[in-house]
Amino acid sequence: MKRFIFALAVGSAISLAGPVARVTAQTVQVGTAQNAIGTLVVVRPDGVQERLQGKGSLKLFENDVLMTEPSSQALIEFKEGIQVALNENTSFKILSRWEKDKPVTRIIRLKHGEVWAKTGEGPKALEVETPVATASVRETEFNLKVQEDGQSVLTVIQGIVEFGTPFGTCPIRPSTISYGVRGKKCTKPAPTDVAPATSWASAVRQ
Amino acid sequence: MKRMETLTGILGSSLGLSLTVLAGCAEISDLFSKPPAEAPAPRIYVANESSNSVSVIDANKFEVIGTVDAKNHSTHDLALTRDGKRLFATNLASGRVSVIDTQSLETIASIPTGTRAHVVTLTNDNRQAWVANIGEDNISIVDTGNYRILGTIPAGKGPTGLAFSHDGRFAYVSNQGDKTVNVIDTASHQIIKTIPVGANPHFLVLSPDGRIWGTNTGGNDIYVIDPATNEKVASFEVGAQPQQIAFAFKGIQGPNAYVTVGSLNKVIAVNADPKNLRIVDQIEVGKSPNGIWANPEGTRLYVANQGSNELQVLDTGTSQVIATVPVGRKPIRVVVSR
Repeated sequence: MKRFIFALAVGSAISLAGPVARVTAQTVQVGTAQNAIGTLVVVRPDGVQERLQGKGSLKLFENDVLMTEPSSQALIEFKEGIQVALNENTSFKILSRWEKDKPVTRIIRLKHGEVWAKTGEGPKALEVETPVATASVRETEFNLKVQEDGQSVLTVIQGIVEFGTPFGTCPIRPSTISYGVRGKKCTKPAPTDVAPATSWASAVRQ
Repeated sequence: MKRMETLTGILGSSLGLSLTVLAGCAEISDLFSKPPAEAPAPRIYVANESSNSVSVIDANKFEVIGTVDAKNHSTHDLALTRDGKRLFATNLASGRVSVIDTQSLETIASIPTGTRAHVVTLTNDNRQAWVANIGEDNISIVDTGNYRILGTIPAGKGPTGLAFSHDGRFAYVSNQGDKTVNVIDTASHQIIKTIPVGANPHFLVLSPDGRIWGTNTGGNDIYVIDPATNEKVASFEVGAQPQQIAFAFKGIQGPNAYVTVGSLNKVIAVNADPKNLRIVDQIEVGKSPNGIWANPEGTRLYVANQGSNELQVLDTGTSQVIATVPVGRKPIRVVVSR
């Protein structure tokens, strides 16, 4: 009888604690920060800050906010092999979207600044969100910059990027540039020299 | 005897003819007036904030037919697609929206929107879900096809309510921190007007005549905005902590705005003519009523009592509670399939 009451108590405690199968957990590592020229600041969801200066392996988790200061750059790599470089004065949050029977989609919510990203081969889904648009990519290399007014500038280096705003989505091809502006569809891609979009990240990628 | 045979023959012929005609009628009937396929029973969905789940209730039998784990924390608001196949649920503590498949009764996606994701409303074409994030003072725009965040719109401080106009030209966002409602032009995503409304404005809903009704949960009144002028045209005191509003009829009278009033444990019915707002009915319900929804006919109300963990079904004709269904902890929001 005592055993029965104990089992009942444990069962009740478990049911009162609510379901445990949440889709995100702040303890699951999603990648590492590997290099910083100057300082990379990582702000955890509880407000605790960690810093990376030079090469290293700083663990990154869901909901971390990453920030670079003036004259600083950084390189991170998600565990799926996706590389992301942050230019100076850049801030973004690491998130992910879970969908049943699909690989997790890594999301970078870019508040301001500039990122370069390369997803490599295979089904590695990455989305970079800005206040006015989202770049969704697989097997691509691209650069995305958010200006102070939220306008977003996408330069595609390799592969095709789906560049979407609430008013429509455009496929952006290599060596072209497109702009995302509040209240409009992304602009028609125009030919561009991609060298400036790749050169700034070369030092931190070494 | 001969007369008898004749009579039998006549009766037999008549019966045969009648049967032939009846059979013919049956074929014609098959062609022109097949009985309608049995429609699925409407369903009631209840967001249980402290259970992180959604209760699914058969709206004919008033029985729980399932409980869906939202796979997130603090399930708060619900929005159901017009075809009833997808249910979008905000999760306050997770800052995420859960997407629920209403056929399989399971969560099939979890979308990060923003800190303290509070309410979700679908655009009139159901292609986007707009989510008000209290902690980030903005609205996330979610593509309901691929679940991507397509952009954000800055709002006032602490956005808590969201509704679209009948024609979809305007979105209305209530801001509890600013005590205002923003009017957003959906063509440009710009705030074109900010309307002062009162203390801690919360819930917003579109009325059958196209006006926007809201509750000042921090005060004791409700208010009405006319989309033709985007002005607040009326307000009315109903009691402390007015929560949510649904529109229904009491017999031939109506439509009335039925307001859950948390402090009174009542649903207060207000005549829905903004020029003549007055209380026309009061119905006692369970503890701290919050969510409320009317059936499409406007004869039943479904009320979520967050203090007594139950859903109550009210018959508006008699103002009686006709069913009480236990649900999860702290039920906040109710929606019903069409």
